Amino acid sequence: MKPEARNRWGLPDLGIGIGLRTVHYPHILEKQPEVDFFEILSENYMDTGGRPLWVLDQVADRYPIVLHGVSLNIGSADPLDREHLSKLKTLAARTRAHWVSDHLCWTGVAGRNTHDLLPMPLTEEALRHVAARVRTVSDVLERPLVLENASTYAEFTSSSMPEWEFFGRLMEDADCGMLLDVNNVYVSAFNHGFDPETYVDAIDPTRVAQYHLAGHTNKGTHIVDTHNDHVIDAVWQLYRRSVARTGNVATLLEWDADIPAFDVVHAEALKARVHRRQEKAVAAAAS
Amino acid sequence: MPQPPLDLGLPRLQRWMQAVIEQPGAVDEAIEAEAARAELDPADIGRVILPSKTLTAVERVGVYQGMYLLRMIEALEGDYPAVAHLLGADAFADLVTRFVAAHPSSSYTFNRLGRQFPEFLRVSRGVRGKAFAADLARLELAVTEVFDAPESPAWPVDAVAKRPTEAWPGSVLRPIAAFRLGAYAYPVNAYLQSVKDENHDHPEVGRKATYVAVWRKRYEVWRLDLSKPAHDFLRALVRGRPFGKAVASAARGLQGAPGEQLFRWLRDWVAEGMFEGVEGG
Repeated sequence: MKPEARNRWGLPDLGIGIGLRTVHYPHILEKQPEVDFFEILSENYMDTGGRPLWVLDQVADRYPIVLHGVSLNIGSADPLDREHLSKLKTLAARTRAHWVSDHLCWTGVAGRNTHDLLPMPLTEEALRHVAARVRTVSDVLERPLVLENASTYAEFTSSSMPEWEFFGRLMEDADCGMLLDVNNVYVSAFNHGFDPETYVDAIDPTRVAQYHLAGHTNKGTHIVDTHNDHVIDAVWQLYRRSVARTGNVATLLEWDADIPAFDVVHAEALKARVHRRQEKAVAAAAS
Repeated sequence: MPQPPLDLGLPRLQRWMQAVIEQPGAVDEAIEAEAARAELDPADIGRVILPSKTLTAVERVGVYQGMYLLRMIEALEGDYPAVAHLLGADAFADLVTRFVAAHPSSSYTFNRLGRQFPEFLRVSRGVRGKAFAADLARLELAVTEVFDAPESPAWPVDAVAKRPTEAWPGSVLRPIAAFRLGAYAYPVNAYLQSVKDENHDHPEVGRKATYVAVWRKRYEVWRLDLSKPAHDFLRALVRGRPFGKAVASAARGLQGAPGEQLFRWLRDWVAEGMFEGVEGG
């Protein structure tokens, strides 16, 4: 029996999922492995009528789906892209998505897209701007938007609050959820010199709809969120710490570069199940 | 003495950062570019970006700037693998650098980034074997477009035999959305196949007119080399020429029993799922 998640919208704990990636299509279609849920990169299925959508329809028939985008551009000074939003809503309906997420970031301005998750200045101006846009997006999608904390490599002198405070106020002001990427917390903490435990401890546990886990690349001077390796122990520990506060929440492993065989990715993801059980046992012993 | 912080406001801050990120070359040069300077004097970067314990303010922006072109190259290499193979890594990267400077991504999806790449390549200077490369890029664009085109049901092959004879002359055949027909000045399909096969004994890239149909069947993309008469006949059909006129025109270029040949082609193309239906007649 899966413990109930403590989020305020009653979003289900879907278990342990992995990202749906092209290289794994044949394995998934042929073997139909036991996977709790799949997360899809929304933009990969918005502008195609071919094989990706055909595969997605089959996967969505068998597995729970959540949508995860990279181009909502929620923090940009540009107007929201209504075409993107409309297609996102259609895709969510088509896949019967449990929720729709994107990132707290901007990806481009002046009509352009750098296809990167660029950092926000953590200012009152930015907070008002993003909160208003999140409300608009949630209205259009007719569901609360879920936003992920991105890995960041630069900080602005104009920032007047830490990211966890920005997120907390944003979620209150715009009534949105959080996709808490524990690896990204670790990466940003390393890059900016803050305590990652302070970050996860500050997040309202009732707002966490999903977790992300991933591997990264430590360049010595900074860490890059490369999604190309196993999850390191320190990130697992951070995950356990956060799960102790949120209860079991849908958890997904991202592996997007140097992608190994499906079973390797899935086995890495399933380590989260062990950590969740151990955390539950510790909590029970403590009580 | 530390300089006071500078709050550019969200729009200006984003315009500046994007201008730096989009600049090729070293980040030290990128911050000096005209578009970046228009938003922020390079001397003031320390007033906008905080340094970390290990990186300067400029180096931190450089993390983003350094990844931008790599991402664009990777995306276009995915759409144009044979062109990338033909040109080699350095020349392809140089071409992409110039391409995205002229045509930066303006869509939420990478799918649209490379649409103008073949034409850009055709008119670019300093690219070795440019004419062949541009032809090859046109074929690879056709493959990409067919891969992503909307799905439409194919006209069943037995419909050809069932259609009344008298209906054919005025019939207009409608191709599926996932169909492209191209005429090329070089044997680009053979080259593309050799790259896909990882066969490094590539065919000659000398000038030779070739004709290729690209279409999708059961969610797989197929390519078919055509003779010139077959191409001309198929082109007339997909452009909406009434069947009778297309046949009459095509028959003039064929020896022997042109009717049989044309009917065989049509039956094969319908069997391959190139058409979704027929109108008129």
